[in-house]
Amino acid sequence: MAVNKKPVSFQVNGRTIQATLEPRLHLADFLRDHEHLTGTHIGCEHGVCGACTLEIDGVPARACLTYTVSCEGAEVRTIEGLEHDPVMVQLRAAFTSEHALQCGYCTPGMLVTARDIVLRLPDADEARIRKELSGNLCRCTGYVGIVHAIQKVQQQRKVTT
Amino acid sequence: MKSSSTQGVGARLARKEDDRYLRGQGEFVGDIHRPGMLEVAFARSPVAHARIVSIEKPAGAEDRVFTMEDLRGVQPIRAISGLPGFKPSDLWPLAKDKVRHVGEPVAMCVAATRAEAEDLAAQVFVDYEELPAVVDMVQARTAPSALVHEHWGDNVFLETLYDDDLSAAKASAPIQIRRHIRTARQSMAPMEGRGVLCEWNTRLGQLEMYSSAQMPHINRAGLSECLGLDQGAIRVIAPDVGGGFGYKGILLSEEICLGWLARNLHKPVRWLEDRREQLVASTNCREHDYDITVYAERDGKLIGIDCDATVDSGAYSLYPFSACLEAAQVGSILPGPYKMDHYRCHTWSACTNKPPILPYRGVARTGVCFALELMLDAVAREANIEPFEVRLRNLVQPHEMPFDNITKKHFDSGDYPESVRQAISAINLPAWREKQKAGLPDGRRIGIGLSVYCEQGAHGTSVYAGWGIPMVPGHEQCFARLSPDGVFEVRIGAQSHGQSLETTLAQVANEILGVDPQNVRVIHGDTGLTPYSTGTWGSRCMVMSGGAVATASKEIAVRVKKIAGKIMEVAEQDLVLEHGAVRVAGTDRSMTLAEVAHIWYRKPQLLPADVDPAGLEVTAGYKTLRDSGTFSYACHALVIALDTALGHSEILDYVIVEDGGTLVNPMVVDGQIYGGTAQGIGTALYEEMPYDSEGQPLASTLADYMLPGPTEVPEPRIVHMSTPSPYTEFGQKGIGEGGAIAPPAAIINAINDALAPLGAELTTSPASPRRVLAAIEAARLRQAA
Ligand code: FES
Ligand code: FES
Repeated sequence: MAVNKKPVSFQVNGRTIQATLEPRLHLADFLRDHEHLTGTHIGCEHGVCGACTLEIDGVPARACLTYTVSCEGAEVRTIEGLEHDPVMVQLRAAFTSEHALQCGYCTPGMLVTARDIVLRLPDADEARIRKELSGNLCRCTGYVGIVHAIQKVQQQRKVTT
Repeated sequence: MKSSSTQGVGARLARKEDDRYLRGQGEFVGDIHRPGMLEVAFARSPVAHARIVSIEKPAGAEDRVFTMEDLRGVQPIRAISGLPGFKPSDLWPLAKDKVRHVGEPVAMCVAATRAEAEDLAAQVFVDYEELPAVVDMVQARTAPSALVHEHWGDNVFLETLYDDDLSAAKASAPIQIRRHIRTARQSMAPMEGRGVLCEWNTRLGQLEMYSSAQMPHINRAGLSECLGLDQGAIRVIAPDVGGGFGYKGILLSEEICLGWLARNLHKPVRWLEDRREQLVASTNCREHDYDITVYAERDGKLIGIDCDATVDSGAYSLYPFSACLEAAQVGSILPGPYKMDHYRCHTWSACTNKPPILPYRGVARTGVCFALELMLDAVAREANIEPFEVRLRNLVQPHEMPFDNITKKHFDSGDYPESVRQAISAINLPAWREKQKAGLPDGRRIGIGLSVYCEQGAHGTSVYAGWGIPMVPGHEQCFARLSPDGVFEVRIGAQSHGQSLETTLAQVANEILGVDPQNVRVIHGDTGLTPYSTGTWGSRCMVMSGGAVATASKEIAVRVKKIAGKIMEVAEQDLVLEHGAVRVAGTDRSMTLAEVAHIWYRKPQLLPADVDPAGLEVTAGYKTLRDSGTFSYACHALVIALDTALGHSEILDYVIVEDGGTLVNPMVVDGQIYGGTAQGIGTALYEEMPYDSEGQPLASTLADYMLPGPTEVPEPRIVHMSTPSPYTEFGQKGIGEGGAIAPPAAIINAINDALAPLGAELTTSPASPRRVLAAIEAARLRQAA
C-alpha cells in the first residue's frame, strides 16, 4: 500500500533524529525498530498496559498512542536515556531490594512512572502511589514490591534532602 | 539440611537477573533484529466455524502469501493422550478445508514491516461457507448444534469416570447440597505476547528459532515431528521471556509456519503476537462447569461427593499437554486434602468452536478449589457452623501423613488444619464477626471467606506416563563445569521467565560448593546449550532443576577435593568447601576454587595419578525420591466489603498461611505468592473472555479483558509454615502456582458470606458487579414467590 511519508525532527535521549516516516508508525515501533532502543516495551498498543511508558517533554506518555510524526520538536526520553539519572539509580536499587520485578517486561514502563511519582509526589501515601501507578499493569509481582520500592526511594530522598 | 549460610538455601538473596531488565537491556524476542529480517502477519478466520471454499491471494503478492497448500511436507500438530477413548485432532498450522475458531490462521503474509504484512493479510480473500458454531460446552456434548470434527460423531475429546455407589448417601445423608458451578473462560495474558524469530543457518544445516517459550526442548521435539527435520537440525532459544503462566508452554502453529518459511526463503523472519491476536485468536484457559452434589453428616463431616464436570477444551488438542489434561485432572484432584468415603466424578473434555485451552497457573486446581470450597461453605451454612469448622472436621490430619486420598493422590507432608487455624487467628475472625453484625458505616456489608488448596508440584514419570501425552518427565539433568577462572557454570534445560532461577540455582550451588552466587553462571532456555528437559511447568523447577544442580555440585565437590587434597597433601575427608575455597578443616590452609581449576586446565602435570579423567565437568541427573509430586498448600482468608447496590466488592484484609516446605529464597517465594494471588483476584473478580452465540469473542482489548491493576490488588499478609518434603533435595516444594488457586474460592465465599442474610448465593466466577446484583435479584424474586 503506497503511503505518503512525512518528515519529522525531534530529540531522543538528547540526540537529534531526522526521519521521513509513514504517518501510521507509532513511537514505540519507531524507537524499537528504527533506533534499536528496545527498552521501551509493547504490551497492548492500545494505551492500557503502560509497558511503553516513556517521557515526552518531561512528562510520562504512552509511546504506542503517539504517532512518531506528531513528535516534531519534542524531547523524548526512554529508559536507556535515564541510565545515569540519579532518581533512576535509586529506583533501580530499590526495585532489586524490594523484588519489584520478576519477568522484567513491565519494568521499564514501571520505572518511568515510578520516577514521575517520586519527583512529583514525594509525600504520596500507599493509596495514592497505587492510584498513580494504575496506568501500568504487571502480571507477575502483584505490585507489592513495586509499591515498596517507590516508598523506599521517597524515604531515601527525604533523608538526603 | 544446613541453612546457616547467608547466600545459600534459605537466604533472601537479591536477584542476579534484575540488572539487565532495570536498564531496559533485557532481550525479548521482539528486541532481536537480524539483517534482512522480514516480518510476518497472519490472515485469520473472522468466523468460528466454516468450510473454506477458496483462498485468493492478493494479486501480485502471490510469492509473499502462503497457505497450507504451499507448506508442502508439513505435518499437522497432533497432541495425543494415552487415556482410553481419547479422540485426537489434527491441527494444521494453517487451516485446511475448515476453520474451527475465530482467529485460526489461514494464510501467512510476509513483508519488510509488520504494517505491510498486515496490509497483505487484509487483502487475502477467503470464501467461507459458514456452519453453526458450537459455543456452550455442555450443549456441545448433550445437544450439539454441529460437529467440530465431523468424523468423531460427537463433540467430546475424552470422557473419564471415577465410579462409586452413592445410593446409601442419597438415601440417608442428613445434608445433601447440589449446585451448578461455573468458572469463566480466561486469557492468561502475560505482559509479553508470544513471539517467534526463525533463521536458517546454512553452514550448520540448522533452523535457529527464537521463541518466547517455557519449554524449548519440547518445542524442538514438536517442530521436528511437524517439519520433518531431525532434532539436531533445530535449535530453539527462549531468550528473556516476559511471563508465561502456562501460555507459552505450547508448540505453536506460528512456530511451524515460520520455521518452514525461514528454511524456504533463506531469510530471517519474525512474528510478534499483538494483544488483539492474543485475546481473540490465541489460547484460553479455565472454563469449567460443575454439576456437583455433596453429602454430609449434620456436623458437617463429609460422606461423599458426586460430580459431573465439563471443561471447554476448545477446538483442538494442543501439544504437548493435550485437550484432556484439564478435565481428566478435575476427576483426579477434586477431593484434594479432604477425607471422604465416597467419590464419583464423571468428566468431559468438550470440543467447541473456541480457541483451544492450555493449562494456566494452577491448571484445574483453581476450578476444583472453587467448586469444592464453595460447596463446603454451603455445607457450613446448612449445618449452621463456621466454615473453618467444616475444614477442620474433614482435612487430613498431620499424623495421617503421608496420606493417600480417595483418588490415590499421595500427600507427602504437612499440617493442613494448622494452616486453617493460623489463618483464622491472623484474620481475627471473632472481631470481624462482631463488626459484620452492624456492617460498615457506609452501608456496605462485610463478608469473611476462606479456602484451602493443595498444589501438586514437580510430579514426574509415574504421573505423566498415565496421561500418555507427548511429554513425560524423567530425570532432570544439569551440566556443570568449574571454569579455569573458578566460575561455576550450570546449564539446565528449563527456562526462567520470572521464576528467578538465575539466582536460586546459584544459591543451591553455593549451598553445596561454597561458591559465591555471583560466580555462578546459570545458562538456560537454549536447546543448543543445555541438556534435555521438559521445561518450566507444574511448579517443578526449584525441585527438579534445583535437585539436578545440587547433584552436579556434589560431584564437582568430590573432584575438587581430590585435586586439592593432592596439592595440599591432606586427606580428602579433611577438606571443607566454603567461601569459594577448599579449606583444610580446623586450619587456615586453603586453595580457592580458581586455583584448583587452574591446575586441572593449565597445570595437569600436578594432578594426582588417579584423578577423575572427566575433569571438572559433569552431567548429573536427578529424580525425587518419589515422583508423585510435592504437595504445598495454603489457607487463604480474607474480608470483603460488599456494596449490594452496585455489586462491587473491596478487599479489606487478606491473609495467606502457606507451607512450601524449605524455602530456597523466601523473598522469591513471597513474590510468587503475591503475583499468583493477584492473578487469582483477577479470576475471582474481573477476568472473563466471553463469546457470543456465533462464537465471536467479545473481549478484544485490555479495556474489555480486565487485568487487575495496582488499585485492585491488596498487599496480602503472608505467614509461612515449613514442613519439608521428605522426597526432595532440601525439603523444598513447588509453590509457583498456588497463589492463583485459592483466591476465587475464598473471595466468592466471602461474598456469599456477606450475601447470606439476603438468601443470595453466587456460584459463577468472576463475581462481576452484574453477577452479584443478579444473585441478589434472584433471591428477592425467590422470596417474593
Ligand atoms: S503498549 Fe502502550 S499502553 Fe500498552
Ligand atoms: S515483572 Fe513481569 S509483568 Fe511485571
